Amino acid sequence: MQLVQLAFRNLFRNTRRTILTVLLISFSLTALIITDAMMRGMTDLIVKSITETLLGEAQIHKLGFRDNFDIDLFIDDAADLEDSLSNDPTVLAHASRTISGAIISSSYNVTGGMVYGIDADAEADLSRIKIAVESGTYLSGKPNEILIGKTMGELLEIKLGDRIVVTLTEANTGEMTQALFRVSGLLHFGITEIDKNMVFINIDEARKLIRLGEHGAHEIAIRFRNPEDAKNPDLAVFKDHNTESLESLSWLQLNKEVSSIIEMSSYGTLIIGLILFLLASLGVINSMFMSIYERIYEFGVLKAIGTRPLDLGVLIMVESLLIALISCAVGIILALLISEYTSTVGIPLGEMEFSGLAISDRILTQFHISQITELPIYVILLTMVSGLYPAWFASKIIPTEALQRSL
Amino acid sequence: MTIVIKTKNLCRYFGDNEETMVKAADQVNIEIEKGEFTAIIGPSGSGKTTVLHLMGGLDNPTSGEVELSGKNIAKMSGGELCDLRRDHIGFIFQSYNLIPVLSAEENIEYIMLLQGVKASERKKRVKEMLELVGLSGLEDRRPGKLSGGQQQRVAIARAMASRPDIILADEPTANLDSKTGIALLDVMKELNEKHDMTFVFSTHDEKIMSRASRLIHMRDGKVELDERK
Repeated sequence: MQLVQLAFRNLFRNTRRTILTVLLISFSLTALIITDAMMRGMTDLIVKSITETLLGEAQIHKLGFRDNFDIDLFIDDAADLEDSLSNDPTVLAHASRTISGAIISSSYNVTGGMVYGIDADAEADLSRIKIAVESGTYLSGKPNEILIGKTMGELLEIKLGDRIVVTLTEANTGEMTQALFRVSGLLHFGITEIDKNMVFINIDEARKLIRLGEHGAHEIAIRFRNPEDAKNPDLAVFKDHNTESLESLSWLQLNKEVSSIIEMSSYGTLIIGLILFLLASLGVINSMFMSIYERIYEFGVLKAIGTRPLDLGVLIMVESLLIALISCAVGIILALLISEYTSTVGIPLGEMEFSGLAISDRILTQFHISQITELPIYVILLTMVSGLYPAWFASKIIPTEALQRSL
Repeated sequence: MTIVIKTKNLCRYFGDNEETMVKAADQVNIEIEKGEFTAIIGPSGSGKTTVLHLMGGLDNPTSGEVELSGKNIAKMSGGELCDLRRDHIGFIFQSYNLIPVLSAEENIEYIMLLQGVKASERKKRVKEMLELVGLSGLEDRRPGKLSGGQQQRVAIARAMASRPDIILADEPTANLDSKTGIALLDVMKELNEKHDMTFVFSTHDEKIMSRASRLIHMRDGKVELDERK
């Protein structure tokens, strides 16, 4: 007969209470694991939404361009930069872009917007522009093709094949220039800012229009083989291309608002975890005390026949540990079963725009090994901490008082 | 004769106020010799259980001394008292005081585990004790599956298994019917006579009094009469 065996048998003196305590702790752990998995899924969705839509995971610009999108601040030899990116093993895809403000006119209406000159083939591997084509066709490299946001199309009252005039400013000279385009595709990103304000044309045409030269670009968007590389400032992409005239920034630096939201979401998990485990701890303390009060006479006897106070305390702690271990096993199994469903079928959100991001997908909860290693350790530690006071109480029971209590 | 327990001017007072103070034990001087079958008797509130608890180191005296095999236990720390109770004193209580989740065998084995007795020796002693108290064959039963008398027999076996110097029994027959009580007392008397085991009872059970070799009468915390038969 060992201490663990005695503690284990004690747990099943009042099976119903033990089951309820185990369920309380295991449900808390399950909820925490699912919350963590959901937060990870949500974060992943947000990150993908922000990086895959248009931004990329990193961008290189001429220093100062981002301050007010000055058309004159362009990279002279983007081709050279793109060559070095092609040889970088961490880089999966990259694409040069021109960006300029423009007046876009149809036969019926006029609006302001941003004209992106894009490399259609390269963009297909980097952004969602091709996927966002709701009607018509993606850019094929033919002259006068233009992709327009659906909302802008409605504003301009145009349809596929209609003509529109884009008025731009030439770089360096500041001269106005105009070009006629035929709408080849209407885009729907689900992001108001893009759908309403952006048009996309072939980069070669854009370069000619705004006179950026053969290899000029305002922006080079980059996608890494490992998306986590965006967080690594020691990467060659960031170290080599942050110079006196260039800046190379990750999406976390380009969109600080969203990166702050993501950072805050981890605190959300922490707060939910704390609340859940505070409640579970109170349940454990309550359960252990009920169990001790039922056994006060017995503890008196145990001390009377020579059980040391420390041994009684250890017995209660072992009971707490066993409750924690059983709860963790139940909690993990429950969480894995639920995760199996939510990670494949997902949790539907409907279509929503959140902080300039289109979230039209389902949240697919994401399993991470820490959910079944770290989180259960916290649960075990917290349950043990909850067991400390009852254990101390049991060790302090005075035999004569305990024996009299039940006589 | 060897003196197992000796109390010297033993006092145990409850309460601080002079007027309301209860003197549960007041200047008690008792010497228990090895092999005695002693009953401390008296009406309720006379202080017999208090004296038994003080003798067993379950309670600390207000003043006076308790010597167990020549050692003064009155000033011992909690841990030292635990070890002393474990190694030198066997207790039998009024209520069935077994650990309900342990079998009869495991209950008997418990104190020996605390003592660090080897497994083979434990098994040997458990078997021996179960035979002594007439419970062979019931070793795997938990207390819930044993009658009151059988449970008290296990308690006696547990008290004896640790090979104590003395067994202190607080109203051991109080919760038993007359027939079971007599049978149990016969077991204890036999252990006393055959194995020279020292017993001290706190009781007002006539059956114990009639079998006791010595009766210590208490009233209002004082020893009123100490008679050897």
